[in-house]
Amino acid sequence: MEQLTNLVVSEGELANIARVLGRLALDTGASYTILLDKSGQLIASQGQQGQRDLTALGALMAGAFSSSRQVAEILGEHDFRSILQQGVQENILSNLIGEQWLLVVVFDQQTHVGLVKVLARKSGEELERVLDRVRHGASEARQQVVNVQFRSDAASAIDSLFQD
Amino acid sequence: MALINVAKREIQCKIVYYGTGFCGKTTNLQYIHSHAPRPARGDLLSIATESERTLFFDFLPLDLGQVHGFRVRFALYTVPGQVLYERTRVAVLNGVDGIVFVADSSPEKLEENFQNLLELEMNMRRMGRDLGSFPFIMQWNKRDLPGAVPIPTLDRYLNRRRAPAFAASALTGEGVFPTLRAICKAVMGSL
Repeated sequence: MEQLTNLVVSEGELANIARVLGRLALDTGASYTILLDKSGQLIASQGQQGQRDLTALGALMAGAFSSSRQVAEILGEHDFRSILQQGVQENILSNLIGEQWLLVVVFDQQTHVGLVKVLARKSGEELERVLDRVRHGASEARQQVVNVQFRSDAASAIDSLFQD
Repeated sequence: MALINVAKREIQCKIVYYGTGFCGKTTNLQYIHSHAPRPARGDLLSIATESERTLFFDFLPLDLGQVHGFRVRFALYTVPGQVLYERTRVAVLNGVDGIVFVADSSPEKLEENFQNLLELEMNMRRMGRDLGSFPFIMQWNKRDLPGAVPIPTLDRYLNRRRAPAFAASALTGEGVFPTLRAICKAVMGSL
């Protein structure tokens, strides 16, 4: 699939995403739920993350998922759309949403993995509908945010911050 | 793929440092990490083998601060350079917004640089992207080496797209920030 150049998430859609993530965490009893872009960037999270470094976690989870898709290709599989990582204390389920996003559920041993799988799939369907709307509205929303003045000010900030 | 989060007033972009094994990609990130001002830089995360070679990627988040009310963040990644890790490089390229190709200036690395660049072009094509119309910067690294290939030669063989190019010595930091500034601006320009 051709990659998008930008993805713009509006306030309304972020609220929809947060609602889906929050309900999934609540219904499964998961510690927390995260929505990542497949490039590793964090879109939203819900639940008790504590002091976890979600930026690093996002980069690693997206990397692991992306790596698993290469493994699938070598095995002649079309895709691995879901990965389950099991630890002593905590487990992680990652599901691909519409080739663009990654839904990550972090849960402990109190939560049944089967329940997480079923409800994560349902939440994934809802998130896919959000993603479709976000895709369609991306261009217009981008023009409202990024203009000539924005680019010029960003360039000045880059010059002043990243110096030898 | 840049992510513009209007609700959180955040813009996030992904930049990948690509190149052959031992060309200095990780050294670039280490220099940026140790010299960028503190509020702007996050923790440098490395997945390396016991011999300190990059196994999967290095990751360094940078925070440009507020621009027009939006917090602009860059996520810098490196790929593992060894030939063996081609599939891993494809995985790291996923969703990339800008690429720095770090070329090793040693004469014996010229062919390897060339092959690595062809591989990058092919991987980008598979993702539906053309390097010619993509934020792309060349870095001629290891200029401090005795016998380094002259820049016009590197330019002729490795830079037929005439991408902006910077001479560098990542170990001493020369050229590291000019390269970073150029790729960040190119990415912002393409948003």
